[in-house]
Amino acid sequence: MTNLPAQNSDLDLRVRLGRLELANPILVASGTFGYAREMEHLVDLRSLGAVIPKTVTAEPRCGNPPWRTVETASGLLNSIGLDNDGIEAFVAHHLPYLRETGTRVIVSIAGRNPEEYVQLAARLESAGGVDGLELNVSCPNVAGGIDFGTDPDQCGKLVAAVRRACSLPLLAKLTPNVTRIAVVAQAAAQGGADAVSVINTLLGMAVDWRRRRPVLGNVLGGLSGPAIKPVALRCVYQVAQAVAVPVVGIGGIATIDDVLEFLVAGASAVQIGTANYYDPTVSQRLVAALPAALAEAGVRRVVDLVGTLNTDN
Amino acid sequence: MSNPLHAAHYADSARQCRVAIAENVQVARDTYRVRLHCEEIAGRILPGQFVMVRLSGCNDPLLGRPLAVYDVVPDAAGHALDLIYHVKGRFTTRLARCERGQPLDLWGPLGNGFPVLPCTHLVMVAGGVGQTPFLTLAKEHLGRQQFGAPPRSVVPVPRVTLCFGAQSHEFMAGIADFEAQGVDVRLATEDGSAGQRGLVTELLEQILAAAPSTGSATALRVVCCGPEAMMRTAAQIAARYQVPCLVSLETPMACGIGICFTCVAKIRQKSGWDYKRTCVEGPVFDARDVCW
Ligand SMILES: Cc1cc2nc3c(=O)[nH]c(=O)nc-3n(C[C@H](O)[C@H](O)[C@H](O)COP(=O)(O)OP(=O)(O)OC[C@H]3O[C@@H](n4cnc5c(N)ncnc54)[C@H](O)[C@@H]3O)c2cc1C
Ligand SMILES: Cc1cc2nc3c(=O)[nH]c(=O)nc-3n(C[C@H](O)[C@H](O)[C@H](O)COP(=O)(O)O)c2cc1C
Ligand code: FES
Repeated sequence: MTNLPAQNSDLDLRVRLGRLELANPILVASGTFGYAREMEHLVDLRSLGAVIPKTVTAEPRCGNPPWRTVETASGLLNSIGLDNDGIEAFVAHHLPYLRETGTRVIVSIAGRNPEEYVQLAARLESAGGVDGLELNVSCPNVAGGIDFGTDPDQCGKLVAAVRRACSLPLLAKLTPNVTRIAVVAQAAAQGGADAVSVINTLLGMAVDWRRRRPVLGNVLGGLSGPAIKPVALRCVYQVAQAVAVPVVGIGGIATIDDVLEFLVAGASAVQIGTANYYDPTVSQRLVAALPAALAEAGVRRVVDLVGTLNTDN
Repeated sequence: MSNPLHAAHYADSARQCRVAIAENVQVARDTYRVRLHCEEIAGRILPGQFVMVRLSGCNDPLLGRPLAVYDVVPDAAGHALDLIYHVKGRFTTRLARCERGQPLDLWGPLGNGFPVLPCTHLVMVAGGVGQTPFLTLAKEHLGRQQFGAPPRSVVPVPRVTLCFGAQSHEFMAGIADFEAQGVDVRLATEDGSAGQRGLVTELLEQILAAAPSTGSATALRVVCCGPEAMMRTAAQIAARYQVPCLVSLETPMACGIGICFTCVAKIRQKSGWDYKRTCVEGPVFDARDVCW
């Protein structure tokens, strides 16, 4: 852009998620960027604040039967079901590549019980080259996964157990499918989370009335994409009011305006999800668009925008 | 397969482009051809590869849709990309109404595409709009045109046949394009309006039954694209005559580049099966590996 201020080099895009410092606030969300290798030729991975590969589980999981996704009004409903090859395969095949990308790597993990989360966290810490962990306590597509995200008490205990077992920065990724997400966020923060990621998908479904069948093989699925952005903004706002730890905003983000809306509402960083599917180079373009957006907002630093929402009448 | 987790083919040469529609014309009932001047993709795409297409700046439909490359034609800047699409739902209905100049977002080339198929007789079996990946394959194997960058070389095949089946003659797009390349075109329609009345797989059976040298590894090759039931039957017939058969699967896709795990098909493994992503490990598979 030609109208960038001359002091462009003074712009400071860096953000902090607790102990984790990132070059900029644009991350890519788990499950929406593969293992990064897939995107190597479309996106300059080093330009991103961090990459979060698809959630890893202890054992390989083949995922749910097709159809696994269906498009809805400005949204996407999915029931992938944590299709992945398990932690050992991840460490052997994907982690070496991820380490070499030159970008921050936050590994998303999910377990069936606290012991599994702890094991996964310990394994990843000892494997090395991991900058942080995101605890997926909110996947709507696997039985059992959701309990940690809906019960504040269990969520707090889970985070605390992982916290004790490993020293990596921890993000807790929360589900919006609760009455009061701020209470779950508080529990995660008290358990020792460095930051909370808000939100995972909204539980939904699609029906084919002609066949009298659910469209998804798994009946229920998680809704994502532009359709959920207002809900995600609301959750970020409520959580940011309630916790002292940084909030990472997720949900329907596709444009630079979306990014700034989340920052102003209280997010310290954002993750790009479904938009990667329909606009593969979007994450990198958003990073490139940040300086001009900061200039328009009249700030030099990303952190000066965070939580600046004015709700006075 | 040194590393079982890494797809055989990532979107390693893919580019994302925004291009204006150069031409959007009806070519058969409910079927249109759209031409896009896009050297970045057209200059590098191989037969059987596909692109994801989306209306620029539009959130409904939201996701891109996969369309196979139909043809690559010379233009002022190098090459233009031709796609043929059948009007099915949200995206294709809107695309059919688009005029010249409407911007589209596309990314590609995607998928593995067809390998070079050395043989004496290449039999292509297409149902519905399943003919779309075969024009470039036929051109390449008849020595008429090369594709890819650098251009892929193919030892010309003496004979290429297209067995093309549809509900009715009026849905059959591109017959003249195939004939102009010297392809032996055989038709089957359910209503008998063109060619033989019945299923396209019966045409395949007739060809294989009449062939003198089935079973000898390199004589005949079958490639197949269309509705799943048709491909399954074609695969069974080919197996019965011991003729190698490739199928190009049309699983629904959300991203086309391997990051969403929507497009999985059950693919046979050394032991059992595994879900494989059609967009990065396919869409072309050996018919014997597909668990129908
Ligand atoms: C590799 C590849 C190449 C292709 N090449 C061509 C081509 O060259 N020409 C061509 O015309 N088509 C091609 N297709 C098919 C084409 O992508 C679809 O017809 C197109 O996506 C339809 O989009 P739509 O928005 O018009 O229809 P939609 O509104 O998406 O739906 C069309 C129909 O599909 C059904 N459907 C929707 N979602 C799903 C789902 N998740 N699973 C199963 N069925 C679903 C709907 O019920 C509806 O009947 C190809 C597909 C693949 C995978
Ligand atoms: C197909 C699909 C798969 C997903 N897989 C995961 C996953 O494995 N782990 C996870 O934490 N979130 C997963 N998510 C949720 C996203 O990371 C994100 O939280 C959600 O989609 C909302 O953001 P969006 O609207 O930008 O997509 C998935 C989302 C989609 C659409
Ligand atoms: S369509 Fe997304 S992984 Fe294949």
